[in-house]
Amino acid sequence: MSALDAVVHAPGFGLALTLVAYLGAGELHRRLGRPALLAPVLLAMVAVAVCLRLLGISYEEYLASVSVLTLLLGPATVALALPLLRSGRALASSALEVGVVLVVTGLVSVGVTVGALVAFGVDDELLRTALPRSVTTPVALTITETIGASATLALVLTLVSGVLGAVAAPSLLSLVRVRDPRARGFATGVTSHGIGTARALAESEVAGGWSSAAMVLNALAMTVALPLVARSFGG
Amino acid sequence: MPAVLAGLALLLALQLAGTALVVLLGLPVPGAVVGLVALVVLAARSPALRRRAEPGATPLLQHLQLLFVPPGVGAVTQLDRLAADALPLTVAVVGSFALGLVVAGVLLQALLRRRDLRAARGAAS
Repeated sequence: MSALDAVVHAPGFGLALTLVAYLGAGELHRRLGRPALLAPVLLAMVAVAVCLRLLGISYEEYLASVSVLTLLLGPATVALALPLLRSGRALASSALEVGVVLVVTGLVSVGVTVGALVAFGVDDELLRTALPRSVTTPVALTITETIGASATLALVLTLVSGVLGAVAAPSLLSLVRVRDPRARGFATGVTSHGIGTARALAESEVAGGWSSAAMVLNALAMTVALPLVARSFGG
Repeated sequence: MPAVLAGLALLLALQLAGTALVVLLGLPVPGAVVGLVALVVLAARSPALRRRAEPGATPLLQHLQLLFVPPGVGAVTQLDRLAADALPLTVAVVGSFALGLVVAGVLLQALLRRRDLRAARGAAS
């Protein structure tokens, strides 16, 4: 066994590779002036995938090496309570309005997803995979597990939704004359979770607070609703 | 560092308590989500608990994207599957995103304006 083989198959190699790719992608993103389309997480994923292929490391071996990161998704989900608490008072005073918008948007979003995929006649498993796309990623991953969908594919769709929100949400909202920062933030968070929230936060503190609250409330609503929807599609 | 570790331990404890509740009550949701709700309810009453969770939560939320790299790498290996169903998936994702965004923005703006007006009228009379 060569020294190179010993290094790339050491238990810590996958974790080191992931950390270097993540930090490097973040640095590159900053140097390029933060283009919304080149999200650092996408760059890091592709870089790691290419390295694994070149070095002949299987995905299973890689996953074992980074199990500590997978483990942290649980406490990270619990931590989402804090942004919700920060905008708690403003939200509590408009609880009725927020609740109505949450339910209506959820129905529209799930309705369009199911409608489009049924119209194209895709199989049930793919349909279930597309359901959690608007939900913040750590929660989306646990939902896919509950409804028996492909976690990796669901993750891509969730990331695409987030990037869509960061790129298109501000101009689309301006186009339909939504100027209230509370409504702009909430709409962004409910449709494109964390990545959209980062963009809303750049717009204003108020928009960012409402966006992260919308992201958490949407995750809670979808956690309850999606398993019920999935049941009618073999989940 | 001790504050970060204590915060992380608290978040993990809430997640595990959530897991126990899910099994005991047969809830249809993940334990971590129950832990999230528990933290909202408890920290709303106790600022001390919130201060204790904060140092653990902040770095996790700041670097949330790092945690998505491993499943994302798996996704790159499934790209051929995505390409086969690219059209329906694009329509579903872009359609539900755009319509959801517009509905949420317009509806919430209208509802909040109505409430603000009513509150202003109430304050004036």
